[in-house]
Amino acid sequence: MGTVLEAEGLLVGYAGAPVCGEVSASVDAGEVLGVVGVNGAGKSTVARTIAGRQASLAGDVKVHGLLIDPDAVPFRRQVSAVFDDDLFFPSLTVREHLLLVARGHSLDDPEARVEEELDFFGLLGRSHAIPDALSSGQRRRLLLAAGLIRPSSLLILDEPEQRLDPRMRVALGERIAAHAKDGGAVVLVTHDPQLLLATASTCLVIDDEVQEFDPEQGASIIAGS
Amino acid sequence: MPGPDTVTVSPSTQGRELAAGIVKFTRQSARRYKRSRSSWGERFVDAYSWGLGIGVSLTIAASFVLALRNEISDRASTANSIIRRQWLVLPEEVLWTSVTFAVLLVIANLARKLGPMTVNGAEGSWWLTLPIDRRPMVLPPFLRKVALTSAGSAIIYLPFSMVTVVDRAPVEHLLASLSFGAAGAIALVLAALQQLRLLPPRIGKATTAAVLLGCSVLPALSSSPWPTALVGAAAVGLLALVVPRAGQVRGEELVRGGAVAGHAGASLFMMDSNEVLRALGGGRKSVDGGRAARFYARPVDGPLRALIRADVVAFLRLNPPLMPPILWLAACIAMLLVEGGLPEFAQLAVIVIAGCATASGMGSVARKTALVPELDALLPLHPALVRISRTLMPCAAMALWMAILSGLLVLLGAADPWLIGVGALAGVGMGAGTLRAATKTPPDWTAPPVETPFGPVPRAQLGSLMRGLDVTILATIPLLVALYLGYVPWSVVIVQALFSAGVFLVVVVTRPKRI
Repeated sequence: MGTVLEAEGLLVGYAGAPVCGEVSASVDAGEVLGVVGVNGAGKSTVARTIAGRQASLAGDVKVHGLLIDPDAVPFRRQVSAVFDDDLFFPSLTVREHLLLVARGHSLDDPEARVEEELDFFGLLGRSHAIPDALSSGQRRRLLLAAGLIRPSSLLILDEPEQRLDPRMRVALGERIAAHAKDGGAVVLVTHDPQLLLATASTCLVIDDEVQEFDPEQGASIIAGS
Repeated sequence: MPGPDTVTVSPSTQGRELAAGIVKFTRQSARRYKRSRSSWGERFVDAYSWGLGIGVSLTIAASFVLALRNEISDRASTANSIIRRQWLVLPEEVLWTSVTFAVLLVIANLARKLGPMTVNGAEGSWWLTLPIDRRPMVLPPFLRKVALTSAGSAIIYLPFSMVTVVDRAPVEHLLASLSFGAAGAIALVLAALQQLRLLPPRIGKATTAAVLLGCSVLPALSSSPWPTALVGAAAVGLLALVVPRAGQVRGEELVRGGAVAGHAGASLFMMDSNEVLRALGGGRKSVDGGRAARFYARPVDGPLRALIRADVVAFLRLNPPLMPPILWLAACIAMLLVEGGLPEFAQLAVIVIAGCATASGMGSVARKTALVPELDALLPLHPALVRISRTLMPCAAMALWMAILSGLLVLLGAADPWLIGVGALAGVGMGAGTLRAATKTPPDWTAPPVETPFGPVPRAQLGSLMRGLDVTILATIPLLVALYLGYVPWSVVIVQALFSAGVFLVVVVTRPKRI
């Protein structure tokens, strides 16, 4: 399986000041890279930089051997990222949001795919509601459904377990593992040891010095922190 | 971040059609939802209110313009000018062309701050991540902005043309307005070109200024239709350059413009002037954190001195560059020098407007700190002392600005040198007004209007809108009296000192309402 993501000497931060140590990592197709660390360690900043949402301070990030460019069509086609951005069209329903993504990625039979995702994320009963009328957890499910309905070779998830109930967390873990099994690469920022153990093949601990561990060690670090 | 081996695929026609379909789908769904939530009756009432409001505003504006035009055309001599007749040397054409140029620059700069090509938060999250051409997403709103700016510029220029050139035929006024309308569109399109980064930023700005300088001359040449045709053709040509590239604006830039435009638009809708200024100042990234660092690092005795030092340093770091106060000073003097002379009341009004605009620019620190009054409350100081510290720099800056303006007026023969002292004193009061303006609460639109002999008046809202501006204008009154008299009696000096001291005391003693 080929390398999907490569980060070399990546330094991330704000206003020129790095928030953590240099990140060097690679994720092959079929792998899940868990990213853990204490609050404020810089996990989300690393994920946002890899997703092209903010510029790096130094170093390179490549996806399929090409430097990332969030404005390039191939990058947008290959990389799906879910962050905790509660930004929705105020007058589009849940179903219409997902339909927009499905059509935008030219999926075959988008209506059927939308139905599947609504069913998986338990949103069928709320499919005609606008996002403002959803609970916080349901909005999170909608964001995750939008990130997973579309094809991608690299999936970036920033603390996807937040605001989800335990049953949904388990289902999400299975879904992430299935995505990797189908040949996708995943970067998973998480505070949930169970989710990490259920999905990750390697684990990056973000701190002043960034180190790679196996998922068991990562899970114990989360539990310790 | 694009590197040498970054691949950007040029969007196909199919991708463009798909993008257009996505935009259409979003708009149709939103429209359907809105329709389902409002009745025909509500829509009719909305349309009626808007129509009535616009009609009344236009009628008031038209009567004001006609009155001003008659006043200007009736002026018989320059005997009433506040400066000596020998200094009324600036040809009117030069002044009005300069004003036109300045307005076009303002349009271009404002457009650049607000985008002009933008997406809102939801569009940024849901549209920009799709692997399709972005042109259908950003182009229609951009073209709407161009059309609105063009129409708005033309409408605004019409009264300006009628007031400044009284001997023009109606057709010439119309042609001049059309020329300015096209120039307004050019200003917006040039801002879009800067957004596309087709030229390095400095060259882009210089090119914009140069093109707009050329455009500002054309409305004045309205005796024939060719200037209108020329500026119209230039607008179309520039649009032809931008339209095919509209999808190439970087996503980050589209989101930034959308955020600023959304913030400014909401603030304007609520008529919250502080929030508008915060929105427009928010995009400025270049705060020099190193400026005055050594001064700040020096040891101090006591919390008051520490606070004053922090406020001085914050003022030096956060306030806008020197250029706006200098430009307002130059514009003010230029307006006074115009050949034939403006009516005396207009000259005094120009001084007040320039002073208020400059004072408003000095309130950056006060506006930012007003958002978190809890920080000030943590200090072991009386709140009045905190407010004194906050007003010191705006007062000093405005005293200097007003002293320079008064000095120039003295050189132009407006009054004796005592005017400089009166001006500096007025500046202290005007500077204090910036704190009052910065700590005002947004208008409460739920408060009912108050019945008066002239009908219902939204007193609470007007009071909120005028807060800060009221004392700034009040502080200039003795100075204006001295300018009107042409000399500075002792009584004016004393009254000015009392006015400024009174304004300062009112501002620092009055506890602001919570924002």
